[in-house]
Amino acid sequence: MAKFITIGERIHCISPVIRKAMAERDPEPIIKRAKEQLDAGATYLDVNIGPAESDGEELMKWAVQLLQSEFDNVPLALDTANKKAIEAGISVYNRAKGKPIVNSADAGGRIENIDLAAANDAIVIALCSAEGVPSDNDERMMHCQNMLERGLEHGMEAEDLWFDPLFLVVKGMQDKQMDVLEAIKMFSDMGLNSTGGLSNNSNGMPKHIRPIMDSALVAMAMMQGLTSAIVNPCDLRLMETIKSCDVFKGNTLYADSYLEI
Amino acid sequence: MALKGLDIFKLSPKKNCKECGCPTCMAFSMKVAQGAMDISACPHFSPDALATLSAATAPPMKTLKVGTGDAELTLGGETVLERHEKTFVSKTRYAVAVCNCMDEAAIDARLAAVPNVDYERIGERMYVEMIYVNYSAEGKTDYVETVKKAAALGRTLVLGCTDVDTAKAALEVCKDSKPVLNGADASNYEAMNTLAKEAGVVLGVRGADLNELHTTVEKLEALGNKDLILDVGCASVKEAFANAVQIRRSAIKDGDRTFGYPSLVNAAALAKGDIHMQAALASLFTLKYGSIVVMEEMSYAQALPLYGLRQNVFTDPQKPMKVEPGIYPINGGDENSICLTTVDFALTYFVVSGELERSGVPCNLIISDAGGLSVLTSWAAGKFSASTIAKYFAEADIEGKIKCRKLVLPGKVAVLKGELEAKLPGWEIIVGPNEAVQLVKFLKDM
Amino acid sequence: MPFNAKSGKFNANINTVELGCGDKKIAIGGENVLPFYTFDAPVENAPKVGVEITDGILENEPECVKKYYEGCESIADMAKKAASLEGVDFLCFRLEGGDPNGADKSTEELIGMVKEVAEAVDLPLVIAGCKNAEKDAELLAKAAEVLDGKNAVLLAAKEENYKTVGAAAGLAYKQIVGAESAVDINLAKQLNVLLSQLGVSSTNVVMNVGTAAAGYGFEYVVSTMQRVKAAALSQNDNMLQMPIITPVASEVWGVKEAVASEADMPEWGDAEQRGIDMEVETAAAVLASGSNAVILKHPVSIATISKLVKELV
Repeated sequence: MAKFITIGERIHCISPVIRKAMAERDPEPIIKRAKEQLDAGATYLDVNIGPAESDGEELMKWAVQLLQSEFDNVPLALDTANKKAIEAGISVYNRAKGKPIVNSADAGGRIENIDLAAANDAIVIALCSAEGVPSDNDERMMHCQNMLERGLEHGMEAEDLWFDPLFLVVKGMQDKQMDVLEAIKMFSDMGLNSTGGLSNNSNGMPKHIRPIMDSALVAMAMMQGLTSAIVNPCDLRLMETIKSCDVFKGNTLYADSYLEI
Repeated sequence: MALKGLDIFKLSPKKNCKECGCPTCMAFSMKVAQGAMDISACPHFSPDALATLSAATAPPMKTLKVGTGDAELTLGGETVLERHEKTFVSKTRYAVAVCNCMDEAAIDARLAAVPNVDYERIGERMYVEMIYVNYSAEGKTDYVETVKKAAALGRTLVLGCTDVDTAKAALEVCKDSKPVLNGADASNYEAMNTLAKEAGVVLGVRGADLNELHTTVEKLEALGNKDLILDVGCASVKEAFANAVQIRRSAIKDGDRTFGYPSLVNAAALAKGDIHMQAALASLFTLKYGSIVVMEEMSYAQALPLYGLRQNVFTDPQKPMKVEPGIYPINGGDENSICLTTVDFALTYFVVSGELERSGVPCNLIISDAGGLSVLTSWAAGKFSASTIAKYFAEADIEGKIKCRKLVLPGKVAVLKGELEAKLPGWEIIVGPNEAVQLVKFLKDM
Repeated sequence: MPFNAKSGKFNANINTVELGCGDKKIAIGGENVLPFYTFDAPVENAPKVGVEITDGILENEPECVKKYYEGCESIADMAKKAASLEGVDFLCFRLEGGDPNGADKSTEELIGMVKEVAEAVDLPLVIAGCKNAEKDAELLAKAAEVLDGKNAVLLAAKEENYKTVGAAAGLAYKQIVGAESAVDINLAKQLNVLLSQLGVSSTNVVMNVGTAAAGYGFEYVVSTMQRVKAAALSQNDNMLQMPIITPVASEVWGVKEAVASEADMPEWGDAEQRGIDMEVETAAAVLASGSNAVILKHPVSIATISKLVKELV
């Protein structure tokens, strides 16, 4: 089994510092955040440039080249609603350390991002939802099937579709949490890869609680077969939990210093 | 081989008709993969898809039986490429080769030497299990006569013969002992298949390369023969190794049933008369996928490491190797020699007895049943304690057999000294070193 | 249908490590396939074969090996003779007399011999300790110093002494550190982590993951090596991508199958043949399991294994 893949979520235009840096093409704050996440053990970095309707293509190219030249072709997830911007980003992307990830497609209006990923030999995050939260796992799996078929039809390998069960916030949807975990098991039973914005579960909780909830959920989700997650890698407790779970799952060989590598 | 839901889903009709009771074909495929539903619950699976699925769930490698009675051997049936993944199931079998190109005296001498190597090691009989009788068109002696002589040894035969008429004559005299007929190739496979089937024996197949071999096996399978052994060839060491690995790997890992048969490696031919090269090759092909390894001869020099290696590699990783409880005299130890005790875990026994031998000191190593675990593990599990040792001493009547009253305990269980002194009155209990390697010095200093 | 061969090439490599210097320099590792799987991808650096001599000169050699070194009076003579044997790629000098529980030779005396060996031959050198961790720390650190510039392997740094050996061999004198564990894959990895945390470059590390003679718990050796290679290649675990060097001779020339005299075991036959085959079969098995280099003693074993490697790569 391959090691759990963490996708660092901290380069996101929702952060004022990053938004400003992107607008001004100021490398420094972006590089700083990238470095923090990589030092903390992130495998992929997510690059969210927001909707970027006007200058998305140029901005994504800039961001991809900036990060890959600074960090030895670090693999990236290209995160925007602007399809042209994703394609522009892929056009300058170096695959030495891994395929680009298209973040994201869904079973509704964004299903064409699967075609885009297929055409560009990229990985795609496939959100098992069409509009809003799926009502149950039958619906999740129907979306999963639709997207899988679409990917296979377009010549993708099943392993390049990373299914996102849609992690839900505990405060408000506590009764749906086991559904999410069950969906992950279903993906895993199918032999499919999975990912998702795991920290969504702890939205709105006190700051000191969130790492605890996130760590507990990642452990349960990895047990169910989750293969990746979009996370804040600077959360030490979470990263230590992931490394420990990788040991239990045999994804990495134990050594006393396993937390330090 | 377990199928993933995805493999089933790819073959499913993808209609989402719900006739099976599942909301989607994907959900149905998952249930089938888990074993929760049977594929027959779907009325729309095509016959081709069903055939593909049933083939995919068959074992990846055929298990064959050759020989009869005491000489019956099991070959193949492996499910993993490396022993630690689960276990290997059918150990490599070694054959000694004779050829009708040798003169009669040489054949007689070779065959006469076969029974020399015959000994027991940790409960396993180590001997030459097969005789390979090679046919040469320019032979000096009569092939069938050679086969008869070889058969007299009571080992399972492999007839290395591509000549159909000769093979037929040879089978006449030995088919009841279920030999292997190693003789099919691209040119004669039909006739050889008929012979093998009539005689009810396993057929060995060879090819100029893996492509030809693959094609010939497919043709034989099309004729209904699935009792096959694949000869990896003897063009060169490199090619034979490549073939042995690729045949096994494609069967186990890539699901290529056509190569899912035991293999035969002719180390004698590959070594070209270099006896130590043959030893190296026998070892290499024991690890990498030789089901039958053919050798020119089997001397003790070659056998001792080879059979030990085979015994190690083919043990089930889940089951520890155990030696029989008993008194093992070392360096001519007798009833007056000092006694040492340790557990029955084979590795411990070998390491300890090896060091005791190195010391040159006559002694008795007393092994009791400790569940095949190492010293500390068996102690922690209560299987190597003052009571178990004392109980064994009573059962085996150690005091009646040995007059010496000195017993050395492994240093790691020094804690047992007091209890053991209480349970074995009259014995002087001596705490030995923690590690076997320190035994030589320990005994010499005593 | 013809055979549809699927490649078993991995997207990760074993590190390439160079040993020695000058014309006789060798490289081990670098492969991205399982041992000898040249049909998956070319193997650039064939496994290498070393010859072992000890500070006892002829004293501790098996009887059947002595005759090959007839007339050798000094360690330099011995080293030259060993280096001239067919199939030898490197020379291993084992300081077994340093063992405080054995001959307990002084560090000065042994290091003097190390210098003599280094002056006598230009082959890559492996300096193996006496197995006593404390004494080895001293011996190997000193050996690293006097072999400055030779790019020699110091065998070995263990859990107990890796700081001293690693600092001297890996940091101060840029030699190759041999990291030794005893058939314990977690410890093998941990030692590499510790050495890298000490600052030793991973291309300056080789592993001795432990061995045994064929028949003596050898299944643990096979599985340890195979699991190391699996982690290194299929999981791209860069803390296990160091090449493996296996001292076979010091294990096999101690077991009874190899050393019992013909007088003691008449049915077993000639003792020399038994020793050679025990060494050859064990060496072939460790190479097939993943060793990138083996250290042997008997000239016939060395020639045989060298020939086997040439045939396979």
